[in-house]
Amino acid sequence: MSRVGTFLKQYWMFVALGFLLVYPLIWRAPYYHVLGFNTLIVATAATGWNILGGYTGYKSLGHSTFFGINAYLVAITANELGWNPLWSAPLLALGVTVVALVLGWIMARAKGSAFVIATIAMLLIFRLLALNVKSVTGGAPGLSQPLAPWSPEYSRMPFYYYMLFWLVIALLVSAYIRRSRFGLGLLAIRDDEGKANMVGVNTTLSKVLAFGVSAYFIALGGGIWSYAQTHIAPIFAFSILNDVDTVLATMLGGLGTLWGPVLGAFILIPGSDYILFNFGASQFHLAVFGVLMVVIILFLPRGILPSLRDRLAARRETSSAFTGASTMEDLSDSQPRGEVPGREAPAP
Amino acid sequence: MLLQLQNVVAGYLKTVDVLQGLSLQVEEAEIVCLIGPNGAGKSTVLRTISGLLTPSKGSVVFDGQDISGVRPDLVLQHGVAHVPQGHSSFPEMSLLENLLMGAYTVSDKALVNRRLEAVYELFPWFRDRAKQRAGNLSGGQQKLLEIGRALMLEPRMMLLDEPSLGLDPKKSHTVFDTISRLRDETGITVLMVEQNARSGLGISDRGYVLELGRERLERSASELLDDPRVAQLYLGGGIDDTLQA
Amino acid sequence: MLIQVAVIGLLTGGVYAVMVSGLTLIFGVMKIINIAHAAFMVLSAYLAYWLFSGLGIDPILSMIGIVPLFFFIGKVTQRRVLSPVGDDPGLLVLLTFALAITLEGVLGSISGSTFRTVRTGYTSSIIPVELSSDLTLRLPVVRLTGFVASFVVLGVLWLILNRSGLGRAIRATIQNAEAAQLVGVNIARVRSTTFGIGLASVAIGGALFSLIFSFNGSSHLDWISKMLAIIVLGGLGSLPGALIAALILGVAEAVSAVTMTSYISPIVFYLILFLTLVFRPQGLMGAKVREG
Repeated sequence: MSRVGTFLKQYWMFVALGFLLVYPLIWRAPYYHVLGFNTLIVATAATGWNILGGYTGYKSLGHSTFFGINAYLVAITANELGWNPLWSAPLLALGVTVVALVLGWIMARAKGSAFVIATIAMLLIFRLLALNVKSVTGGAPGLSQPLAPWSPEYSRMPFYYYMLFWLVIALLVSAYIRRSRFGLGLLAIRDDEGKANMVGVNTTLSKVLAFGVSAYFIALGGGIWSYAQTHIAPIFAFSILNDVDTVLATMLGGLGTLWGPVLGAFILIPGSDYILFNFGASQFHLAVFGVLMVVIILFLPRGILPSLRDRLAARRETSSAFTGASTMEDLSDSQPRGEVPGREAPAP
Repeated sequence: MLLQLQNVVAGYLKTVDVLQGLSLQVEEAEIVCLIGPNGAGKSTVLRTISGLLTPSKGSVVFDGQDISGVRPDLVLQHGVAHVPQGHSSFPEMSLLENLLMGAYTVSDKALVNRRLEAVYELFPWFRDRAKQRAGNLSGGQQKLLEIGRALMLEPRMMLLDEPSLGLDPKKSHTVFDTISRLRDETGITVLMVEQNARSGLGISDRGYVLELGRERLERSASELLDDPRVAQLYLGGGIDDTLQA
Repeated sequence: MLIQVAVIGLLTGGVYAVMVSGLTLIFGVMKIINIAHAAFMVLSAYLAYWLFSGLGIDPILSMIGIVPLFFFIGKVTQRRVLSPVGDDPGLLVLLTFALAITLEGVLGSISGSTFRTVRTGYTSSIIPVELSSDLTLRLPVVRLTGFVASFVVLGVLWLILNRSGLGRAIRATIQNAEAAQLVGVNIARVRSTTFGIGLASVAIGGALFSLIFSFNGSSHLDWISKMLAIIVLGGLGSLPGALIAALILGVAEAVSAVTMTSYISPIVFYLILFLTLVFRPQGLMGAKVREG
């Protein structure tokens, strides 16, 4: 392998982070900052969603409920109490997480398709409330809140960096969970909930916690999005399309892997923006997304990262067929140092 | 030889094979019992024969024809009926409808009726409860119904997976009696998996001990019953039996 | 007045029953929640609308072409799209959801967001039924047609299920798929045929729907939640349960719309759906549904 290749393999994370740090300085038009910010929101949300949908195997289609709730909480507290969304968004997201824990605890009883439908119903209930409890939410027209204090020429740049910071946090949390005993329990639930229970995993508690943690990062994005938008309305704050973005990004990149959701978001959001930009009609955009989703589920059900890893491992296996290297060992070799590999951590 | 399995490798996931090169054979009109610890692959053997699983290696030959990887409904056409573990009746259908489902692949109505009469002959109480919902029958009655349903195709061979599972000793006695009587009266061949090894071997001609997806020991049933190793592992403890109950 | 409203609700409930019959049947056989069901219904409604506005064909008549087409689409979709995915319920729900938004996108691109409805010569006709000297029910012809057609459809479905070999195979697969396989049922074919029947029935539902309601490409999201509430209440997989739940909810909806604040009634719908799924997934009718 070339020297550049080896270097990238070892330090790709820092290269990627470095790129994301200078990106808004190179592409200075507001359009690029908005695009980057939106991508980071979805990447963070998908990283959170993946803890429940990927690690635990419970695929929610209603987690944007928490996105919407926090978007409103941030706007309302900014208007009524003058709270600054930059600190109130992560703080209020904790409150939303408590709501999510309660809802998660109720829904922990539902499994399989019942769970998925219950999450959709949850989203629709909150959307109807947002539309109709006008004294609090302003109804269909929505709410406005104070503009960010910095000058418009910086446009979304501060939001971009702020969201990047939270994406790093989300990844650290996801990586930590993946390695922890708690995370091992989640994987066990995904593989066989009954057996996980039998070997002593508190499945209900684990599911509820995973539900809450994933809700936190989605709620967080909702809060910051709310501030960046300055005006929010129910149909955008509580939209199942937000869930589609999140789920699609995760599945595209690799369900249940650490980096998959981020990779997926960085392909999906700019890609969909490209379609929107070139073909305009949002309805057509929807059809493209639908077909894309079908194609991913049918032909790339495990996502890009796991498929790439498999291919890499297979190639090495054939080249080292007689040295007896197993797939798993090969996989771990291909992981750069410092990355949290997408495989089971040893039980403590 | 009616059935022959050679070096069969099969499993549920691509990566894990439950059967790891298993071979066994069954003669016409024999009762053969498979015993062994949990996870040895006993049920997997039956599922592979009946086509619910496709072997990745090896062959399953029935009456001179290779049936490895053939669809279940076609294996059935060859004359192999499989009565799976646990409840496999159709609970919302009546007893009669269950029996008729047994002859689902037969379109000749007269033939179906003849077979129905033959099954009634073997199990006279079926006639009295023909209209009863299968789900309301007792566990033992359901098991007999499942066996009766399998007989609707006049199979040459029957695969029975844990026929006594969940039954009390008296009822499992009835089930084993029925199996033995069936063989004597109709000459059907039986390959059976049984956790309750003593009873299973009690009505069998031969037995195989399975371990880790391979056959470890093949003897006549009486020899296995007398074998101290088998006795210690699978017969004596009574632990198995307690667990069953 | 309230009786008048309740009777109209009952007629609407009959149409709901046809709309959901395929959904609950598909769930029974495949354990799949077909989120695209309402989107297919809207597709059928559009076809009926286009045939009516373009060629003047009455929706009731256009069913003759749409129903076999949908049966075919259903069979192919199950074979080529759903069945290769395996049996992870989460993934399957996502997949049908993807189909739903694809349909939404395509219909929206073609027809825009304008709401459509089929206005035939009899759309606003009303049949008065005199119950007593001071109580005359006024029954809209379209809803009455829908109600009658619903019972024809449900009757045919009932006959297929209970009086045919295919029906026996379907019921056997619902009750115990492995045992069905072991008595010689080709369950792959049963599944694709059931999906075909499911879509054929929603094609009829869609044609009736086009006569009664107005719709655009995005309408399916509102309707799928309503459909789910009905089949969940009726006990997933149970056809009689779905019928009873459809009639009850039809009446409840009509009555609550005139007695409560307008937005409360849909919230109640979703709440019922949510709570039933979580606390009583076997449905309120108590119909026993095995592992789903």
